[in-house]
Amino acid sequence: MNFRKEFSTVNLVLMAVAIAINIAVGTLVLNLKLPLYLDSVGTVLVGVLVGPWAGAITGFLANVVWTLSGLFPQAIAWAGVAAIIGALAGVFARAGWVQQWWKAALAGLITGVVAAILSAPIAAYVFGGVTGGGTDAVVAAFRSFGFDALFSNLAQGTVSDPLDKAATFLIVWAIMLGLPQRFKARFSGE
Amino acid sequence: MTTSTLFQPRASRLHAAHPLTKLALTGLFLTLGVALPDIRWLLAAFALLMLPLAALAGLLLPFLRAAFTVLWPFVLSLSLIQGFFSPGDTPLIEIGRFAMTTEGLLSGLTVAARLLLALGSTLLLMLTTRPDNLMLALRQKGLPESLTYIVLTALQIFPRFQDRARVILESQQARGLEIEVNFLRRIRLLVPMVAPLILGSIVDVEERAMALEARAFNHPGAKTSWLELEDDARQRLLRAALLLAMLALIVWRVGRLFVP
Repeated sequence: MNFRKEFSTVNLVLMAVAIAINIAVGTLVLNLKLPLYLDSVGTVLVGVLVGPWAGAITGFLANVVWTLSGLFPQAIAWAGVAAIIGALAGVFARAGWVQQWWKAALAGLITGVVAAILSAPIAAYVFGGVTGGGTDAVVAAFRSFGFDALFSNLAQGTVSDPLDKAATFLIVWAIMLGLPQRFKARFSGE
Repeated sequence: MTTSTLFQPRASRLHAAHPLTKLALTGLFLTLGVALPDIRWLLAAFALLMLPLAALAGLLLPFLRAAFTVLWPFVLSLSLIQGFFSPGDTPLIEIGRFAMTTEGLLSGLTVAARLLLALGSTLLLMLTTRPDNLMLALRQKGLPESLTYIVLTALQIFPRFQDRARVILESQQARGLEIEVNFLRRIRLLVPMVAPLILGSIVDVEERAMALEARAFNHPGAKTSWLELEDDARQRLLRAALLLAMLALIVWRVGRLFVP
Protein backbone atom coordinates (compact mmCIF):
# COMPACT_ATOMS: atom_id res chain seq x y z
CA MET A 1 0.00 0.00 0.00
CA ASN A 2 1.36 3.35 -1.00
CA PHE A 3 0.27 5.64 1.81
CA ARG A 4 0.97 8.92 0.08
CA LYS A 5 -0.86 7.78 -3.02
CA GLU A 6 -3.80 6.27 -1.22
CA PHE A 7 -4.33 9.50 0.74
CA SER A 8 -3.39 11.98 -1.96
CA THR A 9 -5.34 15.22 -2.17
CA VAL A 10 -7.53 13.95 -4.99
CA ASN A 11 -8.39 10.85 -2.98
CA LEU A 12 -9.29 12.88 0.11
CA VAL A 13 -11.71 14.85 -2.05
CA LEU A 14 -13.04 11.61 -3.49
CA MET A 15 -13.69 10.29 0.02
CA ALA A 16 -15.61 13.42 0.98
CA VAL A 17 -17.65 13.22 -2.23
CA ALA A 18 -18.23 9.51 -1.64
CA ILE A 19 -19.72 10.26 1.77
CA ALA A 20 -22.03 12.81 0.17
CA ILE A 21 -23.01 10.12 -2.36
CA ASN A 22 -23.78 7.73 0.51
CA ILE A 23 -26.17 10.26 1.97
CA ALA A 24 -27.75 11.31 -1.33
CA VAL A 25 -28.40 7.76 -2.56
CA GLY A 26 -29.45 6.61 0.90
CA THR A 27 -32.08 9.31 1.23
CA LEU A 28 -33.20 8.80 -2.39
CA VAL A 29 -33.81 5.11 -1.70
CA LEU A 30 -35.65 5.98 1.50
CA ASN A 31 -37.99 8.24 -0.49
CA LEU A 32 -38.53 5.53 -3.09
CA LYS A 33 -39.60 3.23 -0.24
CA LEU A 34 -37.45 0.35 -1.42
CA PRO A 35 -36.63 -2.54 0.92
CA LEU A 36 -32.95 -1.61 0.69
CA TYR A 37 -30.60 0.90 2.31
CA LEU A 38 -28.01 1.57 -0.44
CA ASP A 39 -26.26 3.88 1.99
CA SER A 40 -22.71 2.68 1.28
CA VAL A 41 -22.43 3.08 -2.50
CA GLY A 42 -19.78 5.76 -2.00
CA THR A 43 -17.86 3.69 0.54
CA VAL A 44 -17.71 0.67 -1.76
CA LEU A 45 -16.76 2.93 -4.66
CA VAL A 46 -13.76 4.29 -2.74
CA GLY A 47 -12.75 0.80 -1.67
CA VAL A 48 -12.83 -0.34 -5.29
CA LEU A 49 -11.19 2.75 -6.83
CA VAL A 50 -8.50 3.44 -4.24
CA GLY A 51 -7.99 0.52 -1.88
CA PRO A 52 -9.03 -1.20 1.35
CA TRP A 53 -7.61 1.36 3.80
CA ALA A 54 -9.24 4.27 2.00
CA GLY A 55 -12.50 2.30 1.85
CA ALA A 56 -12.33 1.59 5.57
CA ILE A 57 -11.71 5.22 6.49
CA THR A 58 -14.49 6.38 4.16
CA GLY A 59 -16.93 3.96 5.79
CA PHE A 60 -15.94 5.03 9.28
CA LEU A 61 -16.07 8.75 8.56
CA ALA A 62 -19.34 8.38 6.66
CA ASN A 63 -20.96 7.23 9.87
CA VAL A 64 -19.37 10.13 11.75
CA VAL A 65 -20.92 12.47 9.19
CA TRP A 66 -24.34 10.78 9.45
CA THR A 67 -24.14 11.45 13.21
CA LEU A 68 -22.75 14.99 13.06
CA SER A 69 -25.31 16.00 10.44
CA GLY A 70 -28.09 15.05 12.83
CA LEU A 71 -29.67 12.90 10.12
CA PHE A 72 -28.98 9.68 11.98
CA PRO A 73 -27.29 10.22 15.34
CA GLN A 74 -27.04 6.52 16.14
CA ALA A 75 -24.89 5.94 13.04
CA ILE A 76 -21.68 6.22 15.01
CA ALA A 77 -22.44 2.91 16.72
CA TRP A 78 -22.04 1.20 13.35
CA ALA A 79 -18.89 3.02 12.24
CA GLY A 80 -16.78 -0.09 12.71
CA VAL A 81 -19.04 -2.23 10.52
CA ALA A 82 -19.04 0.48 7.85
CA ALA A 83 -15.25 0.51 7.92
CA ILE A 84 -15.12 -3.24 7.35
CA ILE A 85 -17.53 -2.95 4.42
CA GLY A 86 -15.20 -0.41 2.81
CA ALA A 87 -12.17 -2.57 3.51
CA LEU A 88 -13.83 -5.66 2.04
CA ALA A 89 -14.76 -3.71 -1.09
CA GLY A 90 -11.09 -2.88 -1.54
CA VAL A 91 -9.98 -6.45 -0.93
CA PHE A 92 -12.46 -7.87 -3.43
CA ALA A 93 -11.47 -5.25 -5.98
CA ARG A 94 -7.78 -6.04 -5.61
CA ALA A 95 -8.68 -9.70 -6.11
CA GLY A 96 -10.34 -8.77 -9.39
CA TRP A 97 -13.89 -9.60 -8.29
CA VAL A 98 -15.49 -6.32 -9.36
CA GLN A 99 -14.77 -6.82 -13.04
CA GLN A 100 -17.61 -9.24 -13.80
CA TRP A 101 -21.14 -8.50 -12.66
CA TRP A 102 -21.79 -11.90 -11.13
CA LYS A 103 -18.53 -11.85 -9.16
CA ALA A 104 -19.35 -8.35 -7.98
CA ALA A 105 -22.78 -9.49 -6.83
CA LEU A 106 -21.20 -12.43 -5.02
CA ALA A 107 -18.66 -10.13 -3.36
CA GLY A 108 -21.58 -7.99 -2.24
CA LEU A 109 -23.44 -10.99 -0.85
CA ILE A 110 -20.41 -12.08 1.15
CA THR A 111 -19.82 -8.54 2.42
CA GLY A 112 -23.48 -8.35 3.41
CA VAL A 113 -23.25 -11.56 5.41
CA VAL A 114 -20.15 -10.28 7.22
CA ALA A 115 -21.92 -6.97 7.89
CA ALA A 116 -24.94 -8.82 9.29
CA ILE A 117 -22.77 -10.92 11.60
CA LEU A 118 -20.96 -7.85 12.90
CA SER A 119 -24.10 -5.72 13.26
CA ALA A 120 -26.22 -8.21 15.16
CA PRO A 121 -24.36 -7.93 18.49
CA ILE A 122 -24.49 -4.14 18.28
CA ALA A 123 -28.24 -4.16 17.73
CA ALA A 124 -28.78 -6.83 20.37
CA TYR A 125 -26.59 -5.42 23.15
CA VAL A 126 -26.36 -1.69 22.53
CA PHE A 127 -29.86 -1.04 21.24
CA GLY A 128 -31.76 -3.67 23.19
CA GLY A 129 -32.43 -5.85 20.16
CA VAL A 130 -33.93 -3.20 17.89
CA THR A 131 -32.77 -0.68 15.32
CA GLY A 132 -35.68 1.71 15.40
CA GLY A 133 -36.36 1.11 11.73
CA GLY A 134 -39.04 -0.73 9.77
CA THR A 135 -36.90 -3.89 9.83
CA ASP A 136 -37.80 -4.25 13.51
CA ALA A 137 -40.98 -5.91 12.26
CA VAL A 138 -38.78 -8.69 10.87
CA VAL A 139 -36.95 -8.92 14.18
CA ALA A 140 -40.26 -9.14 16.01
CA ALA A 141 -41.33 -11.98 13.74
CA PHE A 142 -38.21 -13.97 14.61
CA ARG A 143 -38.64 -13.22 18.31
CA SER A 144 -42.20 -14.51 18.10
CA PHE A 145 -40.81 -17.84 16.91
CA GLY A 146 -38.97 -18.06 20.21
CA PHE A 147 -35.51 -16.94 19.13
CA ASP A 148 -33.44 -14.67 21.34
CA ALA A 149 -32.43 -11.08 20.57
CA LEU A 150 -29.01 -11.87 19.11
CA PHE A 151 -30.31 -14.57 16.79
CA SER A 152 -33.31 -12.54 15.70
CA ASN A 153 -31.15 -9.54 14.84
CA LEU A 154 -28.75 -11.81 13.00
CA ALA A 155 -31.63 -13.40 11.10
CA GLN A 156 -33.04 -10.02 10.15
CA GLY A 157 -29.59 -8.88 9.05
CA THR A 158 -29.13 -11.96 6.90
CA VAL A 159 -32.43 -11.24 5.23
CA SER A 160 -31.61 -7.65 4.27
CA ASP A 161 -27.84 -7.01 4.31
CA PRO A 162 -26.56 -9.45 1.63
CA LEU A 163 -29.21 -8.27 -0.82
CA ASP A 164 -28.45 -4.65 -0.06
CA LYS A 165 -24.68 -5.05 -0.43
CA ALA A 166 -25.05 -7.16 -3.58
CA ALA A 167 -27.09 -4.34 -5.11
CA THR A 168 -24.47 -1.84 -3.92
CA PHE A 169 -21.60 -3.77 -5.47
CA LEU A 170 -23.58 -4.12 -8.71
CA ILE A 171 -24.12 -0.37 -8.86
CA VAL A 172 -20.39 0.20 -8.33
CA TRP A 173 -19.60 -2.40 -10.99
CA ALA A 174 -21.85 -0.50 -13.42
CA ILE A 175 -20.18 2.78 -12.53
CA MET A 176 -16.72 1.31 -13.08
CA LEU A 177 -17.86 0.27 -16.55
CA GLY A 178 -18.83 3.82 -17.36
CA LEU A 179 -15.79 5.45 -15.77
CA PRO A 180 -13.00 6.50 -18.15
CA GLN A 181 -9.76 4.64 -17.57
CA ARG A 182 -7.79 7.75 -16.71
CA PHE A 183 -9.97 8.31 -13.63
CA LYS A 184 -9.32 4.80 -12.42
CA ALA A 185 -5.59 5.40 -12.70
CA ARG A 186 -5.86 8.83 -11.07
CA PHE A 187 -7.52 7.57 -7.92
CA SER A 188 -5.80 4.23 -7.62
CA GLY A 189 -3.93 3.69 -4.40
CA GLU A 190 -1.47 1.25 -5.87
CA MET B 1 -18.60 28.08 6.76
CA THR B 2 -22.09 26.79 6.19
CA THR B 3 -22.50 23.13 6.87
CA SER B 4 -25.74 21.30 7.16
CA THR B 5 -25.96 20.23 10.75
CA LEU B 6 -28.13 20.72 13.78
CA PHE B 7 -26.05 23.66 14.95
CA GLN B 8 -28.10 26.59 16.17
CA PRO B 9 -26.12 29.62 17.29
CA ARG B 10 -27.00 31.19 20.62
CA ALA B 11 -25.15 33.49 22.99
CA SER B 12 -24.95 30.92 25.76
CA ARG B 13 -22.19 29.72 28.07
CA LEU B 14 -22.57 26.25 26.62
CA HIS B 15 -22.10 27.50 23.08
CA ALA B 16 -19.03 29.48 24.10
CA ALA B 17 -17.45 26.53 25.87
CA HIS B 18 -14.50 24.78 24.29
CA PRO B 19 -15.58 21.89 22.03
CA LEU B 20 -13.58 19.40 24.05
CA THR B 21 -15.45 20.44 27.19
CA LYS B 22 -18.71 19.72 25.43
CA LEU B 23 -17.31 16.46 24.13
CA ALA B 24 -16.40 15.52 27.70
CA LEU B 25 -19.95 16.30 28.79
CA THR B 26 -21.25 14.06 26.03
CA GLY B 27 -18.89 11.35 27.26
CA LEU B 28 -20.24 11.76 30.77
CA PHE B 29 -23.83 11.30 29.64
CA LEU B 30 -22.85 8.29 27.56
CA THR B 31 -21.18 6.76 30.61
CA LEU B 32 -24.22 7.59 32.74
CA GLY B 33 -26.35 5.87 30.13
CA VAL B 34 -24.28 2.74 30.47
CA ALA B 35 -23.57 2.79 34.21
CA LEU B 36 -26.79 3.87 35.91
CA PRO B 37 -28.68 0.89 37.31
CA ASP B 38 -32.35 1.52 36.57
CA ILE B 39 -34.85 3.70 34.79
CA ARG B 40 -35.45 6.05 37.70
CA TRP B 41 -31.77 7.01 37.82
CA LEU B 42 -31.67 7.37 34.02
CA LEU B 43 -34.71 9.60 33.82
CA ALA B 44 -33.47 11.62 36.80
CA ALA B 45 -30.14 12.21 35.03
CA PHE B 46 -32.03 13.32 31.94
CA ALA B 47 -34.36 15.67 33.79
CA LEU B 48 -31.91 17.07 36.32
CA LEU B 49 -28.71 17.21 34.28
CA MET B 50 -29.43 17.21 30.55
CA LEU B 51 -32.56 19.35 30.37
CA PRO B 52 -31.08 22.19 32.46
CA LEU B 53 -28.07 22.21 30.13
CA ALA B 54 -30.35 22.49 27.13
CA ALA B 55 -32.19 25.31 28.86
CA LEU B 56 -28.89 27.02 29.66
CA ALA B 57 -28.07 26.85 25.97
CA GLY B 58 -31.39 28.48 25.15
CA LEU B 59 -32.33 25.41 23.12
CA LEU B 60 -34.79 23.56 25.31
CA LEU B 61 -37.56 23.31 22.72
CA PRO B 62 -35.31 22.45 19.72
CA PHE B 63 -33.55 19.88 21.86
CA LEU B 64 -36.79 18.23 22.96
CA ARG B 65 -38.04 18.20 19.39
CA ALA B 66 -34.83 16.63 18.08
CA ALA B 67 -34.73 14.10 20.92
CA PHE B 68 -38.33 13.12 20.29
CA THR B 69 -37.75 12.65 16.55
CA VAL B 70 -34.75 10.41 17.15
CA LEU B 71 -36.08 8.45 20.11
CA TRP B 72 -39.72 7.68 19.38
CA PRO B 73 -39.02 4.78 16.94
CA PHE B 74 -36.82 3.21 19.59
CA VAL B 75 -39.42 3.66 22.33
CA LEU B 76 -42.03 2.05 20.09
CA SER B 77 -39.89 -0.89 18.97
CA LEU B 78 -38.43 -1.50 22.42
CA SER B 79 -41.79 -1.36 24.19
CA LEU B 80 -43.28 -3.84 21.76
CA ILE B 81 -40.39 -6.23 21.18
CA GLN B 82 -39.04 -6.33 24.72
CA GLY B 83 -42.54 -6.00 26.15
CA PHE B 84 -43.70 -9.13 24.38
CA PHE B 85 -40.52 -11.15 24.18
CA SER B 86 -38.30 -10.30 27.12
CA PRO B 87 -38.68 -12.47 30.20
CA GLY B 88 -41.48 -11.41 32.50
CA ASP B 89 -44.35 -12.75 34.61
CA THR B 90 -47.06 -10.13 34.96
CA PRO B 91 -49.12 -9.88 31.76
CA LEU B 92 -50.41 -6.49 30.67
CA ILE B 93 -51.82 -7.03 27.19
CA GLU B 94 -52.55 -10.36 25.61
CA ILE B 95 -52.71 -10.94 21.85
CA GLY B 96 -53.33 -14.54 20.94
CA ARG B 97 -50.71 -16.63 22.64
CA PHE B 98 -48.39 -13.64 23.14
CA ALA B 99 -48.47 -11.46 26.23
CA MET B 100 -46.79 -8.15 26.94
CA THR B 101 -45.42 -8.30 30.46
CA THR B 102 -44.72 -5.43 32.83
CA GLU B 103 -41.18 -6.65 33.37
CA GLY B 104 -40.54 -6.88 29.64
CA LEU B 105 -42.00 -3.45 29.04
CA LEU B 106 -39.90 -2.03 31.84
CA SER B 107 -36.69 -3.55 30.51
CA GLY B 108 -37.49 -2.16 27.05
CA LEU B 109 -38.16 1.30 28.44
CA THR B 110 -34.94 1.13 30.45
CA VAL B 111 -32.95 0.55 27.26
CA ALA B 112 -34.85 3.45 25.71
CA ALA B 113 -33.84 5.63 28.66
CA ARG B 114 -30.20 4.67 28.18
CA LEU B 115 -30.45 5.60 24.51
CA LEU B 116 -32.13 8.84 25.53
CA LEU B 117 -29.04 9.82 27.51
CA ALA B 118 -26.56 8.62 24.88
CA LEU B 119 -28.29 10.02 21.80
CA GLY B 120 -29.61 13.08 23.60
CA SER B 121 -26.11 14.08 24.60
CA THR B 122 -24.87 13.81 21.02
CA LEU B 123 -27.82 15.93 19.88
CA LEU B 124 -26.99 18.53 22.51
CA LEU B 125 -23.37 18.50 21.38
CA MET B 126 -24.35 19.10 17.77
CA LEU B 127 -26.88 21.77 18.64
CA THR B 128 -24.31 23.81 20.53
CA THR B 129 -21.12 23.19 18.57
CA ARG B 130 -20.03 24.28 15.11
CA PRO B 131 -18.55 21.26 13.32
CA ASP B 132 -15.49 23.17 12.20
CA ASN B 133 -14.76 24.23 15.77
CA LEU B 134 -15.12 20.63 16.89
CA MET B 135 -12.79 19.41 14.17
CA LEU B 136 -10.25 22.13 14.97
CA ALA B 137 -10.25 21.11 18.63
CA LEU B 138 -9.66 17.49 17.65
CA ARG B 139 -6.92 18.51 15.25
CA GLN B 140 -5.18 20.39 18.03
CA LYS B 141 -5.25 17.15 20.00
CA GLY B 142 -3.58 15.28 17.17
CA LEU B 143 -6.32 14.11 14.82
CA PRO B 144 -4.92 14.11 11.27
CA GLU B 145 -6.00 17.04 9.17
CA SER B 146 -6.94 14.80 6.25
CA LEU B 147 -9.66 13.21 8.36
CA THR B 148 -11.13 16.51 9.56
CA TYR B 149 -11.05 17.75 5.97
CA ILE B 150 -13.09 14.77 4.80
CA VAL B 151 -15.71 15.17 7.54
CA LEU B 152 -16.11 18.92 7.14
CA THR B 153 -16.24 18.83 3.34
CA ALA B 154 -18.77 15.99 3.33
CA LEU B 155 -20.94 17.94 5.78
CA GLN B 156 -20.68 20.97 3.56
CA ILE B 157 -21.55 19.36 0.23
CA PHE B 158 -24.04 16.59 0.96
CA PRO B 159 -27.18 18.82 0.82
CA ARG B 160 -26.29 19.73 -2.73
CA PHE B 161 -26.02 16.05 -3.61
CA GLN B 162 -29.38 15.32 -2.00
CA ASP B 163 -30.90 18.12 -4.07
CA ARG B 164 -29.33 16.77 -7.25
CA ALA B 165 -30.69 13.30 -6.51
CA ARG B 166 -34.15 14.75 -5.92
CA VAL B 167 -34.02 16.69 -9.19
CA ILE B 168 -33.10 13.51 -11.07
CA LEU B 169 -36.00 11.72 -9.36
CA GLU B 170 -38.46 14.46 -10.25
CA SER B 171 -37.29 14.65 -13.86
CA GLN B 172 -37.83 10.90 -14.17
CA GLN B 173 -41.30 11.31 -12.70
CA ALA B 174 -42.01 14.01 -15.25
CA ARG B 175 -41.13 11.44 -17.90
CA GLY B 176 -43.83 9.19 -16.57
CA LEU B 177 -41.92 7.03 -14.09
CA GLU B 178 -44.41 5.60 -11.63
CA ILE B 179 -43.00 5.31 -8.15
CA GLU B 180 -45.86 3.12 -7.08
CA VAL B 181 -44.87 0.45 -9.61
CA ASN B 182 -43.61 -2.90 -8.32
CA PHE B 183 -40.26 -2.83 -6.60
CA LEU B 184 -38.22 -4.88 -9.05
CA ARG B 185 -38.93 -2.25 -11.66
CA ARG B 186 -38.14 0.47 -9.19
CA ILE B 187 -34.73 -1.12 -8.61
CA ARG B 188 -34.05 -1.44 -12.35
CA LEU B 189 -34.94 2.18 -12.83
CA LEU B 190 -32.69 3.18 -9.95
CA VAL B 191 -29.36 2.67 -11.75
CA PRO B 192 -29.95 5.18 -14.58
CA MET B 193 -30.94 7.63 -11.86
CA VAL B 194 -27.96 7.02 -9.66
CA ALA B 195 -25.25 6.65 -12.32
CA PRO B 196 -25.26 10.21 -13.74
CA LEU B 197 -25.21 11.61 -10.21
CA ILE B 198 -22.16 9.59 -9.27
CA LEU B 199 -20.24 9.89 -12.54
CA GLY B 200 -20.81 13.64 -12.54
CA SER B 201 -19.52 13.88 -8.99
CA ILE B 202 -16.33 12.00 -9.81
CA VAL B 203 -15.49 14.45 -12.59
CA ASP B 204 -16.11 17.20 -10.04
CA VAL B 205 -13.53 15.64 -7.73
CA GLU B 206 -10.57 16.41 -9.93
CA GLU B 207 -11.44 20.10 -10.18
CA ARG B 208 -11.86 20.38 -6.43
CA ALA B 209 -8.56 18.65 -5.82
CA MET B 210 -6.74 20.99 -8.18
CA ALA B 211 -8.25 23.99 -6.41
CA LEU B 212 -7.06 22.61 -3.08
CA GLU B 213 -3.56 21.89 -4.29
CA ALA B 214 -3.32 25.39 -5.72
CA ARG B 215 -3.83 26.52 -2.13
CA ALA B 216 -0.96 24.36 -0.82
CA PHE B 217 -3.37 21.92 0.82
CA ASN B 218 -0.88 19.09 0.92
CA HIS B 219 2.02 21.20 2.08
CA PRO B 220 3.70 19.61 5.09
CA GLY B 221 3.89 21.66 8.26
CA ALA B 222 1.45 23.52 10.49
CA LYS B 223 -1.16 25.79 9.03
CA THR B 224 -2.58 28.89 10.68
CA SER B 225 -6.22 28.50 11.50
CA TRP B 226 -8.71 31.25 10.82
CA LEU B 227 -10.83 30.00 13.69
CA GLU B 228 -9.71 30.43 17.25
CA LEU B 229 -10.87 28.40 20.17
CA GLU B 230 -11.12 29.89 23.62
CA ASP B 231 -10.02 27.83 26.54
CA ASP B 232 -9.18 28.52 30.15
CA ALA B 233 -7.97 26.78 33.27
CA ARG B 234 -11.50 26.39 34.64
CA GLN B 235 -12.60 24.43 31.59
CA ARG B 236 -9.49 22.27 31.66
CA LEU B 237 -10.25 21.53 35.31
CA LEU B 238 -13.85 20.77 34.45
CA ARG B 239 -12.76 18.37 31.70
CA ALA B 240 -10.43 16.58 34.10
CA ALA B 241 -13.25 16.32 36.64
CA LEU B 242 -15.62 14.95 33.98
CA LEU B 243 -13.08 12.33 32.96
CA LEU B 244 -12.64 11.29 36.58
CA ALA B 245 -16.40 11.09 37.00
CA MET B 246 -16.62 8.84 33.94
CA LEU B 247 -13.92 6.60 35.31
CA ALA B 248 -15.67 6.41 38.69
CA LEU B 249 -18.97 5.51 36.99
CA ILE B 250 -17.30 2.74 35.00
CA VAL B 251 -15.66 1.34 38.13
CA TRP B 252 -19.03 1.45 39.92
CA ARG B 253 -20.73 -0.32 37.02
CA VAL B 254 -18.08 -3.02 36.78
CA GLY B 255 -18.14 -3.41 40.55
CA ARG B 256 -21.87 -4.08 40.46
CA LEU B 257 -21.20 -7.07 38.21
CA PHE B 258 -19.46 -8.78 41.10
CA VAL B 259 -21.88 -7.81 43.84
CA PRO B 260 -24.71 -10.37 44.12
